[in-house]
Amino acid sequence: MTLPVFAPRPVAAACLAIGMTLSLAAAAFGLAAPAVVGTVAAVLNEVRIKALGMGQLRPAAIRQRLALGDQVQTGARSHMQALLLDRSAFTVGPNSRLTIDRFVYDPSGGSFSATVAKGALRFISGGRGGAGGRSIATPVATIGIRGTIVDAVVGENAIAIARGEREVGASAGGDPATASLIVLRGPGPRAQGEVTPGAITVTAAGRSIDLDRPMQAVYVPGPGAAPIGPFELSLPGQARINDLILPPVAARPTETMPYPQPPSSDRYRRRYPPPGLIDGPDQPARGPDVANPRIPIIIPEEHDQAPGGGNDDPPVD
Amino acid sequence: MNDRWTLAALTGVGLSLAPMQAATAQVPPATEALVRATAQPATGLALARRQIAAGDLTLAMATLERVILAQPEAGEARLLHAGLLCRLDDRQGSLVELDVLRGRDFPPALWREATEPCEADRVPPRTGE
Repeated sequence: MTLPVFAPRPVAAACLAIGMTLSLAAAAFGLAAPAVVGTVAAVLNEVRIKALGMGQLRPAAIRQRLALGDQVQTGARSHMQALLLDRSAFTVGPNSRLTIDRFVYDPSGGSFSATVAKGALRFISGGRGGAGGRSIATPVATIGIRGTIVDAVVGENAIAIARGEREVGASAGGDPATASLIVLRGPGPRAQGEVTPGAITVTAAGRSIDLDRPMQAVYVPGPGAAPIGPFELSLPGQARINDLILPPVAARPTETMPYPQPPSSDRYRRRYPPPGLIDGPDQPARGPDVANPRIPIIIPEEHDQAPGGGNDDPPVD
Repeated sequence: MNDRWTLAALTGVGLSLAPMQAATAQVPPATEALVRATAQPATGLALARRQIAAGDLTLAMATLERVILAQPEAGEARLLHAGLLCRLDDRQGSLVELDVLRGRDFPPALWREATEPCEADRVPPRTGE
């Protein structure tokens, strides 16, 4: 075989020596590039990723690989979804920080551990549920996951939402940096399709609480604090979490609807005003549910598509 | 002789690049296809409906959330998402999302698609008001 390129002896020797040195150093010090665990599946506004061991945050783009240890950060009014190799997904809200710490790929349901340091996220189990160990850590709690959908809020918004819950109380305390509110969303025992009901175990301060029904919640006020719960999250509380994890729906006038009003739960309509974000002083709490006053949530009112945010992909398939 | 040293040089380059190999590993094509399909609401919605029909409800939920992030005003995706919560037995969550969407202009058939999964549990609409 004749190679088209010839390297002079000193250059080749240097290349070989450098290559071997780098390779050995990577192996010895764990510097090998971390394994890919998934991909960036959706980006809205400002989302940045810091690779393990790197100091710089770089803008995230759709279909960018996510590697073990990558730290994902979202800015204000920003959201993203990470799709893992086993098709589990994290939908992440504004001002959040998420890291995938461990991941073992299994097409039927891999195992992983992730950390949400702040913000809000929803974990959606991939496929029809795997048996692998899965856990999400907040600064003050660990969530053991068994094939499920779970919401987690960390920080000031967790306190604000929890204080609106009757079982927690408006005077409840909380550490603005670490307070965590965790909600099981499903699937419930009456779920349709080939879905296994989900469950989670929340452990904090040496105490574990099992949740096995949708909308069951646990609140952990701070480091060392005993978890409060389980309790059933109120409808306004869930509306607030929804508005953190997905972009809030813009208000629309209803007077000119060409279609008939859809069937609705008027009981809910009477009890709660339409889910908004912030009530001003001229908008006192309405309805009989005085234990659930509307509490300001720290999120923006509008969303703009970031230039080059990665959502301009042409249709495929 | 030169071949030997060239091979040595290439080996060296290869070794130095080896640590980077994992970072460029391929995501399974099926996973890539899921992401591509949600770049546009129409293809994303079609994918979600196929997943729902196949019983892959949690995959459908993730799909719809990608569509919503790609286009926050995608009302149809939000409506389908609300109905999907009901299929997943998160009936309160479904109610919350339907309430937010009430007042938007949706064809009745679309509303039926979203609300039928919870038909049995739904509070009947008021009459006489």
